Amino acid sequence: MSTEVTPFKRRSLTISRSASTRMRISGLFGHGLLLLITSSSALLIIFIFYYIIREALPFFKIRGFVEFFTQNAWHPVGNPEEFGALAIFFGSGMVTLGSIIFAVPIGVVAAACLSDILPFSLRQLTKPIIEILAAIPSVAFGFFALVVLAPLMQNHGGLILGGSVWVVGLPLLFLASWIGAEFLATRIDGKNLPTTRWTLRLVLSVGGLLALWYVAGIFGQMRVTSGTNALNVSLVLGIMALPTIVSVSEDALQSVRRELREGAYALGATRAETMMWVVFPAARSGITAAIILGVMRAIGETMVVWMAAGGAEQIPTPWYNFLEPVSTLTATIAGEMGEADHVTGSARYHVLFCMALVLLTISFVFNFISDRIIGKGGLAKGKSA
Amino acid sequence: MNLASRRMMDRSFTVLGILSILVMAGALLCLLGPIVIRGVNAFVFRATVEHRQMLAEKYGVGDREAVKRELAQAEQHRTKIYRMISAYEASLEDESYAMRREMGGELDELKDRLRDLLGPFPGDPDPILMREQYGETRWDRALVVKDEVIFREEYDYSDPSAMGVLVHVPRADTFEGTSLAPLFPYLENHLSDILRPRWTFYWRFFTTESYDAHFFGGIWPEILGTFYLTVGAILFAVPFGVISAIYLVEYANPKNPLVALIRTCISTLAGVPSIVFGLFGLAFFINELHVSESKSVLAGSLTLAVLILPLVIRAAEEAIRAVPKTYKEAALSLGAGRWRTICTVILPAAMPGVLTGIVISMGRAAGETAPIIFTAAVSAGGVVALGETLSQPTPALPWNIYNICSEHEAVNEIRHVQYGMVFTLVFLVLLLNSTAIWLRARIAKRLRGA
Amino acid sequence: MTETMVNLSTSDTLADSAGVKIQPHVSCHDFSVFYGDFEAVKKARMEVERNRVTAIIGPSGCGKSTLLRAMNRMNDFVPGARAKGKMCYRGQNIYSSDCDPVELRRRIGMVFQKPNPFPKSIYRNVAWAPKLNGYRGNIDDLVEHSLRQAALWEEVKNELDKSALALSGGQQQRLCIARAVAMQPEVLLMDEPCSALDPIATSRIEDLIHELKTRYTVILVTHNMQQAARVSDFTAFMYMGELVEFGETDLIFTSPKQERTQDYITGRFG
Repeated sequence: MSTEVTPFKRRSLTISRSASTRMRISGLFGHGLLLLITSSSALLIIFIFYYIIREALPFFKIRGFVEFFTQNAWHPVGNPEEFGALAIFFGSGMVTLGSIIFAVPIGVVAAACLSDILPFSLRQLTKPIIEILAAIPSVAFGFFALVVLAPLMQNHGGLILGGSVWVVGLPLLFLASWIGAEFLATRIDGKNLPTTRWTLRLVLSVGGLLALWYVAGIFGQMRVTSGTNALNVSLVLGIMALPTIVSVSEDALQSVRRELREGAYALGATRAETMMWVVFPAARSGITAAIILGVMRAIGETMVVWMAAGGAEQIPTPWYNFLEPVSTLTATIAGEMGEADHVTGSARYHVLFCMALVLLTISFVFNFISDRIIGKGGLAKGKSA
Repeated sequence: MNLASRRMMDRSFTVLGILSILVMAGALLCLLGPIVIRGVNAFVFRATVEHRQMLAEKYGVGDREAVKRELAQAEQHRTKIYRMISAYEASLEDESYAMRREMGGELDELKDRLRDLLGPFPGDPDPILMREQYGETRWDRALVVKDEVIFREEYDYSDPSAMGVLVHVPRADTFEGTSLAPLFPYLENHLSDILRPRWTFYWRFFTTESYDAHFFGGIWPEILGTFYLTVGAILFAVPFGVISAIYLVEYANPKNPLVALIRTCISTLAGVPSIVFGLFGLAFFINELHVSESKSVLAGSLTLAVLILPLVIRAAEEAIRAVPKTYKEAALSLGAGRWRTICTVILPAAMPGVLTGIVISMGRAAGETAPIIFTAAVSAGGVVALGETLSQPTPALPWNIYNICSEHEAVNEIRHVQYGMVFTLVFLVLLLNSTAIWLRARIAKRLRGA
Repeated sequence: MTETMVNLSTSDTLADSAGVKIQPHVSCHDFSVFYGDFEAVKKARMEVERNRVTAIIGPSGCGKSTLLRAMNRMNDFVPGARAKGKMCYRGQNIYSSDCDPVELRRRIGMVFQKPNPFPKSIYRNVAWAPKLNGYRGNIDDLVEHSLRQAALWEEVKNELDKSALALSGGQQQRLCIARAVAMQPEVLLMDEPCSALDPIATSRIEDLIHELKTRYTVILVTHNMQQAARVSDFTAFMYMGELVEFGETDLIFTSPKQERTQDYITGRFG
C-alpha cells in the first residue's frame, strides 16, 4: 500500500436541531420552488383557455350563439355585418376529412410495412423520410401547395384526376376481382373449381376495367377552375399528417406482443392474415389514437389552408365538391386578424377568438381521448403508461 | 380459399405496404425537389450585366471599370435597338392621326417591355423605383421578358360558350413592313450580347438586405429575425422546460393527483393548434402584460416559447429518465446531496438527450408561422439591432415566405426569391434536425462505452 | 444462542462502559424495513465488528440487500420505504432525526451489484466525490492512493483520462471500489459485488476484500455461499426478511444452530 494521504476533515455526524430544521425547510423550499416552476408551465394551458374565452365572450354577448353556429353568411365587414361561421366549420371539416381519407390508408399500411415487413436495415433507411417529412415547416408545405401544386392542378386538372383514378383503381380492381372470384366461386358450385375461378376472375376484371374507364373518363373531363381548392389542401395536409400517423401506429403495432403473432403463424396464417386478423385488432386503440393525432395535425394547420385553400367562406355545391375553394377556422383567423386588431373591441375582433375557442375545445377533447386510449392500451398490454 | 390465393393476398399486402412507403418517399421528393433545385437557383444563376451594374452602384461591389467596359460593349448592341425605335418614332410623325394613335399605343407597350428587359432608355428621366432603374438582372427572367417583347398575350374569345383561350401573337406581325420589323429577330439573336449573362454565385443573397420589396438584394433581415425569434424562444423555454422535467422525474410522486393534473396540462398544451398560440400571445403578452407596445421580437419569442415548452419538457424528461438509476445511487452513496447529484451527475449524463430535444424544438420554433403573425412579424423591414428586439417587430423567414408569395405586388417576377427563402428555411430546419440525429447517434455510441 | 446473540441483548452503552467488549461498528436492534405494507426486513438484530468482513447470505428476495442499503440510508430514495427500530453506527442511531444522512454516506461507502462508474474519465470518477466534499489535500495523490488500494493503479496509471466505461467489468467494479475508498470511509457496503463478473475478476475482487479489511469494516451481501465462506469472518443468514442466524463464519457453515440455516447451506432450498 502506498503512503498515507491527507485525511478528510470530518463534519460531525450529529446535526443540531436548528440545523436539521434549517435543512428540512430549505429542502421543502427547494421542492416548492420546483413545483412552482413546473406548475407554471402547466398553468399556461389554463391561461390560454382563460384569455381566449375572455376575448371570445364579448362576441357572444353582442351577437348571441345562434348565428355563429348555424348561418353560413360570413360578411364581417358587410353592412349589415354577418358572422355565420357554418361554412367555415364545414371547410375545416372538409379538408380534414379529405386529408384523413388520403393519409390513413397509406399511413397505416406503411406502418404495418415498417413494423412487420421490411428488414431492419431498410427500416433504418425509411426512418429519415418520416423524420424529414415531420420536420419540414408548414409554410414550406403551403408554398408547395400554392406555387407548385396549384398551377399544376389548374392547368392539367383533368389529366391528373383521370390519371390518379387509374393509378389508384387498377391495383384495387385487380385485388377485388381476385378476392371476389374466390368468394363467388365457393358460393356458386361449392367446390371452388379452378375453371370457374378463372372465368369469374376474367369477367370481374373486364367489368371492373370498363367501370374504371368510365369513371376515369368522367374525372378526366373535369375542369379545375381554381388550383387553390379543397382537394389541393387535403392532399398536402394528408402528407403533413402522414408522419404522425405512421409513427404512432408503428409504435402501436410494435407493442403488440410477439406471442400473438407467433400464435397466428403457428396456426398456418400468412403474414397478411396475421396482420389483418390478429395484429391490427390488437393494436386497434393505438391506431385510433394515431388517427386522432393526425386529425389534430390537419385541423390545426394554418399556413397551408391560408395559402392554398382559396379562402372562400362557402359550402361547395354540391357539398362534396373538393374542387371548389373553401376556407377554414385557422385560415380565417390568420387572414382576418391582421385587419381586425386595429379595431380591438369590435365583434369582428372577438369573433376570431370564438373560432380559436372552438379549435381549442376540439383539440382539448381529441387530446383527452387519445391520451385515454394510449394510456388504456398501454395498461392492457401490461406496460406502464 | 386455396393456398395460391392466400399467398397472392400475402404478396399484394407486401406490395401495398411498400407502395405506401414509396408514396411517402415520392411526396418528400416532389416537395423537396423543386424547393432545392429552384432554391439554389436563387443564389447560383446566370447574372446579366445589369446585375453587375446594380451591385457596383448600390453595394459598391465588384470592379467598376470592368463593369463599365462591359456595359459599353452591351451598349453597342443596344444602340441598334434604340436607333430602330427612334427611327420608327420619327417615321410615325408622318403618318395619319389614326395610324399614329394606334401604332403609338403598340409602340409604347413595346417600349415598356423593352424597358423591363434593358432598363431605362437613354434620355429617359431617372426612374424612382429601383426595379425600373435596371433591366433584367437574371438570365432566366430575361428570357421570359424577351418572350414578352416578342409576343403579345391575347385572349381568344372566338368560342363564346367557353372561357377565353390565351394565345401568343408575335408583335412582329403588328409592325410588319415597318422599320421596326428587324428589331425582333435582332433581339432574338443578340440577346446574350445585349445582356452578357455569366454564371454567378451570389452569396450576398444571404447577407444583404433587400432593395425595392425583394426585387433586388437578399434576405438577411429575415434570416436574422428567425434567428432572434428562435434563440429567444429557446432562452425562455429551456430553463422552465428542464426544471419542470427534473421535477417530474426526480421529485414528483406519480400517484399525486396534482402531478397527474400537471401532466395532463402539459400534454394538452402540446396539442393546441399553433394559430391559437398566436392569438394567446396577442391577448396575453401584448394586450395584457404589455411586454411591448405592439408586435415585437420579445412577444414573438415568448409566444414561441409557450409553443415549444411541452416539446422541451418531454425531451428533457425522456433524457433524464434514460440516465441509469445506478449513477444516481453511486453519487448518493458517495455522500452527494440530492441536488448535487442532479446537477453534477444526472444532468451531465442526460445532456446530449436534452440537447437533442432543444435542437429539435429550435427547428420547430424556426419554422412556425402562425404564432408570430400577430406577435412579431412584419412584412417589410430592415435589420433589427439586438437592442431593439425588446420593442421592435422583425421580418422572419416563415412569415415573409407567406408574404412575398401571397401578398406581394409582383408575385411572378420574384419567384426565385420565394424559392430561395423557402430553401433557406427548409435547409436551416433540416440542418437543426440532422444535428439532433447526429447527437442521438453520439449518445448511442457513448452508452455502448466507446 | 451463540455468544454474539447474547451480547445483542445488552445495550451499546452498557458494553461501552464495561469496556469488556469493543463497541460494534454497525449494529441493528429490532430493525425493520417496510415497503408500503410489506415488511422486507423483520426485526433484525446483529452487530458488525470493526475491521472484519461480515457476509449476509440468503435466498434472493430475503431482504439482505434491503438491510445492507438501510445501513447508509440508501432506502430513503425508494418511494414508500420506511424504517422502524434502531440502526446504529458507532453507537449512534442513524435513523434519529439528528443524524445527517449525507455525512453518514461519506463515512459508509457502498459498492453496487453492477459496476456503475460515471460516464466520465477514470480520474474524474475517483476525484469527483472528494472534490465535491471539499477535500483539502492533494487530489492526485488521493486518486493514486485509492486506485492502489483497489488494486487498479498498475493497470490504468497511463490512461487516467480514458472513459471509465471503456474498462472491463472487473476493472469497472474495482474502479467503483476505488471511488468509494477515495472518500476514506470507515465502512464499505458491498451489494453482491461479483454477481456480474466472470470467475477471474471475481477472485481478484475477493482478494481485494481480504486486503481492504485491514482498513475498513466490510459488509458484503452475496448469494454465493462459497464466496461468503472464503472471504468473511462473520456471516448472517437471512430468510424471508428474518435474520435467522448470525455468528462466526466457521460456526455458521460447520455447525449452524438453526434448522433453516442448515437446510440452506446444505442446499435443500435456495
